Amino acid sequence: MRTEVIYKFLSYVLLFNAVFLFIAAAISLFYNESSAYPLMFSGFICIIFCALPFIFVDNIDDINFNEGIAIVVISWLTTCIIGMLPYLMWGGEFSLINSWFESVSGYTTTGSSILNNIEGLPKGLLFWRSSTHWIGGVGVIIFVLLILPHATSSRLTILNTEINELSKANFKFRAKKIIQVLVIVYVGLTALQTVALILAGMNSFDAINHSFATIATGGFSTKNSSLAYFNSEIIDYIVIFFMILAGIHFGLLFGTFTGRRENIFKSKVVKIFLLVLLSGVILVSLKLFFSGTYNFMDSIRYGAFQVISLGTTTGFANADSFAWPPFTHIILIYFTIQCAMMGSTSGGLKFDRIYLFFKSLKKQLTLIKHPKAIVSFKMNNIHISDHLETMTLVFIILYIFSFFVTTVILTFLNVDLYTAFSASIATIGNVGPGFGEVSSLSNYSEIPSIGKFVLTINMLLGRLEILNIFAFLILKRGNF
Amino acid sequence: MGNKLKYKILASFLLLVSLLVIAGTVSIIEFIKLSKTVTAIIDDNYKTIEATKTMAESIERIDSGILLHILGEKEESIKIIQAADIMFIESFNVAKNNITEFNESIYIDNITENYNIFKSYWINNLYQHNFQGDLNWYHNQIHLSFINTKQAITNLMYINQNSLYNHSTQLKEKSQRAIMPGIVSIIGSIVFLVMLNFFITKHYITPITELSEAIKNFDKNDKYLHSNINSKDELKKLETDINNLITKLQYNKI
Repeated sequence: MRTEVIYKFLSYVLLFNAVFLFIAAAISLFYNESSAYPLMFSGFICIIFCALPFIFVDNIDDINFNEGIAIVVISWLTTCIIGMLPYLMWGGEFSLINSWFESVSGYTTTGSSILNNIEGLPKGLLFWRSSTHWIGGVGVIIFVLLILPHATSSRLTILNTEINELSKANFKFRAKKIIQVLVIVYVGLTALQTVALILAGMNSFDAINHSFATIATGGFSTKNSSLAYFNSEIIDYIVIFFMILAGIHFGLLFGTFTGRRENIFKSKVVKIFLLVLLSGVILVSLKLFFSGTYNFMDSIRYGAFQVISLGTTTGFANADSFAWPPFTHIILIYFTIQCAMMGSTSGGLKFDRIYLFFKSLKKQLTLIKHPKAIVSFKMNNIHISDHLETMTLVFIILYIFSFFVTTVILTFLNVDLYTAFSASIATIGNVGPGFGEVSSLSNYSEIPSIGKFVLTINMLLGRLEILNIFAFLILKRGNF
Repeated sequence: MGNKLKYKILASFLLLVSLLVIAGTVSIIEFIKLSKTVTAIIDDNYKTIEATKTMAESIERIDSGILLHILGEKEESIKIIQAADIMFIESFNVAKNNITEFNESIYIDNITENYNIFKSYWINNLYQHNFQGDLNWYHNQIHLSFINTKQAITNLMYINQNSLYNHSTQLKEKSQRAIMPGIVSIIGSIVFLVMLNFFITKHYITPITELSEAIKNFDKNDKYLHSNINSKDELKKLETDINNLITKLQYNKI
């Protein structure tokens, strides 16, 4: 594995982060805030470190699979370290572990926060916080691949590592085109939502920040009480609409907007995903109405928002769902585990895997009945190989195992079982809010430091698709 | 530029220097802010707090003087009251000329109003009347206005103490902001040097070693050196020059 190749790619990642750090610093300077120098200094650190490989390493086109995995995993880790610098240098509630937690939570689009007073942060730092979502949403390395001038084969290798095989099934393009599609849809949706929120009465700063967090399926808000602060039906419904779009495969969204054959109306997985979301909304809304929690219209508004917020792994809140009846908790926990679709900006288990699991179950039952039968296994009319099927099932088992281990560690640290369990699934699913001490209008500040660190590992596992991390660790041991 | 060894090394060290310069500049800016906060604490709040303490002590002395007057020590009491009055006015002027907090002038006006009422009860009466044993006079007029004046002074002290507390919280945060660039730079410099060491070893030390090995393993039947230098810098030039030399020597031999 060529270390200088990894350095070279890292330098682009740092450069991309530096751009957003300088924008955030400019905002801080404009408002004469105390966060201007921490942001600016962090930007310069990025520039200085990214310059070194530019001096020594020539342009690289070919990279192998191992280097691809290392580039993706190390890029994420480096980005998270750089992302914590402005927080750490600014101070306030940001201790070392809190800065790391907030940074990882931002980049992995989890949206869990340790902050008790979000509104007390300078605007520049709030923008940086939302930017970490936006950079991490589609994956920082994807942006880098788009701007790399000479990297045809590298682009393909890294893309194969960053984007799951199941996800690629709906992208009927070449590597460069896939990246362009991802970025076009991503930037387009962000711009559209920003305009919609401004028209709905939100100020432009909050609109940009909330759009960054929605399209990245992150969940960081500029307000202590998240979307509940605005108490606006129109804002809630706009955010619901864009959360759903951000949770759907970007290739299919692109196909829909450009009139291609692969679009959301033809995709069976999208139809079932939306049907499951709708079922969740109906169940939660009915329970809220019949339990007398809200009137009929509010039950639909709050029920739909919370189900879609967790079902797409965004994690915004417009009500305190912890105070709702236990039945709604069960439904919301299911959606926290299920997550959104492959090819979207969401992390975690992802709906496609659950769908594939049930298809696989059906296949196995058929094979029990007819052992010699040849069962065709397709999703969206695309053949699913035995290898992909096995990898998906292994992923599901590893996923369950990971959040079980995290729950055990948190309870060992004297965190109550409900909080520990929901925090584990909310972080590995990159959802954000859980229940108990970490409910939708609360935060993670009360979790012990070691617990916070374990949860950040969870976030990275969820974002980087557990298997990539394990592959990287095996790679480091030289047994890959 | 990128192909010259000396420029590459120079650029690397310039990067390191710029890291330290930027860290130093940010630290200096933050330390300037820090010293401004310290100055603010001393100038804005501490000065007024001290003035309010003196004011409170002055009116207590005036109150004691009045009680001495009631006990019959007329001349002694007048001396104490006059001295305390001067002390009060001096410290009051310090506070009046050091308005730094929001609405602080209202608190100053409140002191002025209450002290004038307090003073009006004793300023002429002490010289013209004999209040020996007249506790009713003290109780009905002096005591209530004394309490009100003291409360007005305490209120002024509270807002300055609150501001002092806020400033000291800021002081803590600013000192952290002044120190952090230094800490980040120390860690950054170490990481940078590790990376620099890697690149120098990879791009300069390794090719030199390879060149040395190639010379060592050079056989009389070889036509040129077999080294793996892929750069376009001085090391590649050295390899080319050695190969040219070999060619010349072989040509001369023939």
